[in-house]
Amino acid sequence: MTSATGTLTAPRRAAPRPLRTLAGEQIAVASGQLAAGVGNLVFSLVAARLLAPGAFADLAAFLALYLVIHVPTASLSAGSALRPALADRARRRVAGAGLGAGALIAAAALPASAALHVPFAMLLALAAAAPAAGLLALERGRLYGLGRTRRAAASLAIEPAVRLSAGVALGALAGPAGAAAGVVLAGYAALAVAHACGDAPASGTAAAPAAGGAATGATVLAFLGLALVQNQDVLVANAQLPAAEAGRFAVLSTLGGVAAFATTTVPLMLLPRASAGERRALPAALGVAGALGVAAALVVAADPGALVAAVFGDRYADVASLAVPYVIAMALLGVARVLIAHACATGAARAALGVLAATVVGHLVLLLVMGDTAAGVAHATLLATTGLTAGAGGAAVVRLPSVRGALGPRPAPVALTLAVCVAVGLVLRVLATRGLWLDEATSVQQAQLPFGRMLDELRTTDVHPPLHHAVLWVTVRLIGTSEFAVRLPSLIAMTALIPVLYAAGRELYDRRTGLAAAALATVAPFTVWYADEARMYGFFMLFGTLALWMQVRAIRTGRTRDFLLWAAAAAAMIWTQYFAVLFVGAQAIAYVAAIARPGVDRDARRSLAVRAAGAAALVALAVAPLVPFALHQFEVNQAAGRGFGSSVPSQAGATASQNEGLAQPSIYAAITNALWAVLGYHSDRTMTALAAVWPLAMLGALALLGRGRSHVTQLLVLCALVPMAGLFAVGQLKPFVFEVRYFSAAVPIALLLIARAATGWTRRALPAVAVVGALVALLGLGEADQQLNSSNPRQFDFRGAVEQIHKRAGPHDVVVLSPPYVDSVVAYYGDGLRLRSAERGVPKPTAHRHVFVLGSFFDKPQYAALTRKSVRQLRRDGRQVAAFHRPQIRVWEFAR
Amino acid sequence: MKAVPTDPRLREPTWTAASPGRAHRLRVRLLTALAIPLALFYFAWLLTPGRIGHPVLYALLVAAELFNLAQAAGFWWTCARERSRRPCALHGASERPEVDVFVPVYDEPADVVEPTIAAARELRGARVSVWLLDDGGREEMRALAARRGARYVARSERSGAKAGNINNALRRSRAPYVVVLDCDHVPAPDMLEATLGHLAAEDMAFVQTPQYYANAGVNALAGAAWSQQALFFGAIARGKDGHDAMFCCGTNVVFRRAALEDAGGFPEGSLTEDFELSVKLHARGWRSAYVPRVVARGLGPEDMASYVGQQHRWARGCLGSIGAVLRGDLPLRLRLQYLLSCSYFLTGWTILVYMSFPVIRILTGAQPLAAAGADQFLMHFAPYFALALYMVALMGSGAYTFRAFALQAASFWIHVHASLAVLLRRPGSFKVTPKRGASGRQPRAVLPGLAAITVLVAAAMYGLLRAQDPGTLNNAAFALVHVTVLAAGIAPALRGAGPAAAVAADERTEALRRAA
Repeated sequence: MTSATGTLTAPRRAAPRPLRTLAGEQIAVASGQLAAGVGNLVFSLVAARLLAPGAFADLAAFLALYLVIHVPTASLSAGSALRPALADRARRRVAGAGLGAGALIAAAALPASAALHVPFAMLLALAAAAPAAGLLALERGRLYGLGRTRRAAASLAIEPAVRLSAGVALGALAGPAGAAAGVVLAGYAALAVAHACGDAPASGTAAAPAAGGAATGATVLAFLGLALVQNQDVLVANAQLPAAEAGRFAVLSTLGGVAAFATTTVPLMLLPRASAGERRALPAALGVAGALGVAAALVVAADPGALVAAVFGDRYADVASLAVPYVIAMALLGVARVLIAHACATGAARAALGVLAATVVGHLVLLLVMGDTAAGVAHATLLATTGLTAGAGGAAVVRLPSVRGALGPRPAPVALTLAVCVAVGLVLRVLATRGLWLDEATSVQQAQLPFGRMLDELRTTDVHPPLHHAVLWVTVRLIGTSEFAVRLPSLIAMTALIPVLYAAGRELYDRRTGLAAAALATVAPFTVWYADEARMYGFFMLFGTLALWMQVRAIRTGRTRDFLLWAAAAAAMIWTQYFAVLFVGAQAIAYVAAIARPGVDRDARRSLAVRAAGAAALVALAVAPLVPFALHQFEVNQAAGRGFGSSVPSQAGATASQNEGLAQPSIYAAITNALWAVLGYHSDRTMTALAAVWPLAMLGALALLGRGRSHVTQLLVLCALVPMAGLFAVGQLKPFVFEVRYFSAAVPIALLLIARAATGWTRRALPAVAVVGALVALLGLGEADQQLNSSNPRQFDFRGAVEQIHKRAGPHDVVVLSPPYVDSVVAYYGDGLRLRSAERGVPKPTAHRHVFVLGSFFDKPQYAALTRKSVRQLRRDGRQVAAFHRPQIRVWEFAR
Repeated sequence: MKAVPTDPRLREPTWTAASPGRAHRLRVRLLTALAIPLALFYFAWLLTPGRIGHPVLYALLVAAELFNLAQAAGFWWTCARERSRRPCALHGASERPEVDVFVPVYDEPADVVEPTIAAARELRGARVSVWLLDDGGREEMRALAARRGARYVARSERSGAKAGNINNALRRSRAPYVVVLDCDHVPAPDMLEATLGHLAAEDMAFVQTPQYYANAGVNALAGAAWSQQALFFGAIARGKDGHDAMFCCGTNVVFRRAALEDAGGFPEGSLTEDFELSVKLHARGWRSAYVPRVVARGLGPEDMASYVGQQHRWARGCLGSIGAVLRGDLPLRLRLQYLLSCSYFLTGWTILVYMSFPVIRILTGAQPLAAAGADQFLMHFAPYFALALYMVALMGSGAYTFRAFALQAASFWIHVHASLAVLLRRPGSFKVTPKRGASGRQPRAVLPGLAAITVLVAAAMYGLLRAQDPGTLNNAAFALVHVTVLAAGIAPALRGAGPAAAVAADERTEALRRAA
């Protein structure tokens, strides 16, 4: 290749190395890192035994400050790993900056010592360590860049070795100052080992093409951002939480730090290899980071209580339930670091920085909103790292050559818009929280049983298939039974729905429709509501959308893979919700129509018929084991007067959907369900007002004149209407089944159709964006009313009511429940409360026993009467001392 | 690369009038079979005595609904029997037949007329004589005829408008076949090859072809006007042909001279001379045919005033022909078909009735129906309405758009005015639809629509300020529906046809100048 300035040498590309070799390199360096971590931990434990408690506290403070100066400088490693030559050029400047920082620390040591309550000598030691911090990061990065893995591992390992030898010896001689000096010495030793290495790359290593200054700068910036995500929760927790709670989070942070620390070197090793075009470097790095993360999570999950108690003492035992989620958060961060590093090394630094910036801001917002407890901070970090991993992963998927081709000529804005939608959607779904509802509490109770017993319980008392329960069972065991934990599967499903809807919209129509559908799904009240419910409806919507997408792909491409994916999605949908058979039935009709449509040649017709029949057979095969399960459920429940004949309300807020006292679903019920599907749940008054403006639907129908009838639109309408119409018909016999939850797979379809209508009427971008923006605003308004309006008949604040009872109740007090079936949700929140069914009568209040009545479901005459009867009885037997109400719930307290 | 002509009439048509096929016809019939019970379901519910709310309003509602049902049923009946004839040249004759092509003009610009004359001279399949029938008596037209090799005829006495002009030419010519072309309709070279074959049957009076608006893309109004035409010249015209009831539309039509002479030429006292001529011919036993193929490309109205003028003339003419239809010796099927076409121009009354209901309900509380919740009403009405709408979409093959519907609804007052004029026997005059759109705003052309919007908005606001109960919301929503439809219909007049129409006309002139 020549240019005006002479001959340019193309970057040397070594022959692609096997995955095993690349993974081996990663493991070698990560082992050094692990050894360093373990060594440093041992040094701390030895120092704890060697030094007096006060002296050890001084050393701990020094170590924390030592970490503070090393964490930001570590991002320099990323720069020199990507560009090893940078180390030579930047060495003097970094040394100068380090010396300056050291001098500054030394100069400020005296006043800082008093302010921070850290001995003066310690601060001098810190000043001495400062020049090495940046240099060490720079040199280690250079080693990663040159592929000098052994040297890098040695540099990592020498540090704890010197700490344990010189540090322990000096500590024994001179106390904490000596130990600190040992730590500083260890840093310089590591620097010496790292520095004493030539500039030649290791044999067999592909030289990374010299990255531009801008790319290197962006990489350094990205790693600084990652450091922020890793550490800002500690800072916020310290600033925001009371000391005890901050201490609880410090325990979590330390445990999570292990997982994060273990994967630190993986992205740094990846940078030069990815930059050199080693395609297998990414899977190798992801594999190692993932394995280390999973290993860390498994170690902690084995017995978190015992681990926390053993390492931090019994007083921190109650943070054990948060240990696994937080370690998972840090493990995800390790994976995200790999993805971000890969993006930086392959010329997608801007997108990576965008995702990172959104995560940093989102994380901070979450911390400020949710961070009033250690659990809240941990969950905020879990959300942030999940979002970061999803965003970075999505961006990586988008960059895959096959996907890139499918995305069209301008993938970056699409990826960015999608990333923003996912981030906003995730934050919205997390913020829009509420207390558990009856069915959720029942599901959680069932999921806590051993697996076999849970299935048995489902078979004999429930009316739903077991897929969601199985996932919940695993979730409960992995991350506990907190509200967040049990809703996490739904949260993930409903967040994943956003990119899946984009992909489906793009496949079915075009990119513009896909983006509009994703934007609508981000704020659509129905999707947000069921992201926050530990039930199967989120899965139902996700699998339904996947099935639809895959079916269209299968018909268009005729590829076996797409038919198999459709079969998997369809089967999963039925395993999630029985009424999905209506949806799959509609899809079967669509297959028949596709086979029979004119203009298809005979071979293509036959091929499509064979594949569709095969896929349908697979679905039937996959669903076959469910049939006896379902039949048993039906028989047992019918015989016991539960399930399909149950008196337990399966829907709340039905008033708005009923008209003129009709028990059977009516057109008004259909309108109300349609409004719920699109605009979410609202007060009966709002729903009645919204239903009254049905003539606007006529306008909508008229507006469709001349809009054409594509096969895809027909398929969507078929898949949305068949389940709805089917349940409407069944609802004439069993009224409660006609409820949007049971055909909730139609909701994403409705969003797709709305997105198509909003974008398809004009070719110009601006009007389409304006219409989509208006629709997003409308849905956002619906979402705000749904979440904030306490008149929403689906807002049952059992949590608030029980918390208030808890504050007032003593150990002998009794809570009378009306209706009795709210026991599971009250028990979930009211651990230790003595519960009693109102149907069993009310106990008399005594001098030592207050009696509470918790009443709900006042729209059901029998329960309203039961509550009235209980309260009247207690007024006769005692005196009312308090009464309060929460949304849809009233509580009375009686004493003698 | 092939250059695209600037005059839209010289471009290939983007629409086909032919039937989508047998599957389409089967679908139409199946849906018709489904629509009938749904309509019965709704009307059985509506006509239950207990439904009567305010008696007068109820009577108006029932009358409007029955009228619309009759129109809808007529539409389904028409379309269910569609016939899609193939083009057919005249075979068997020893020599090519003689054809006179009449192009009547009045005050149209030369740049509009000249391509028509030029193209008519190029017609294949017959020995063609082109006649430029100039009722304007302009030298410019005489020169044009001379330049293009057409015969020029001008009258000293201009009675009978377009009909009189054609009749005058009929007396001067002698070819056995006569083609009538509006001066803006540029014929395709194969027009006669596609139509003359159908005149082989001795009792065939005329063969009609679509009136295609090539300027549909010029602006929203032209597009909407074309959309209405597309529904007629697509499904409806094919259906009418299936019933042997296709009537002459005044242009793009080939007549047998003998039939015209038998009918005494075009009726000169009518505003829709073509329509009345058809009635006369059918009454005298002649037959007609429709070839669903675009063989001439013309210009539709490009501004609201032109559209209003055209619709008003058609409405008055057709409504004025009801007497002739009833009096004529027509078979029942044809009589019903003609009555359907005539009475279409009463649709505006039903729109007026529907618009008045929410206003009356909000202002007085009176409503047509009693003892019926919205739920019940929807249960009975929604399936019928949805299917009827779907059938329009299906039968129009997507050509009939919301804009076309809105334009029709916003023209409600034209129907009202025209029917009153007919009822009061007010004299009407034949006004040629302008072939060039005005580029400015034309609020005067839509004043009744604006007044209706004002009343509806004021009533809805008054109602909502007074109460927000479901009943008021429901009626306010109805008012909003009407307002939206009317606003969409009159919007082109308020926006102005835009420079596009004027530019299109200038481009035509420029193209002609270059060609010359």
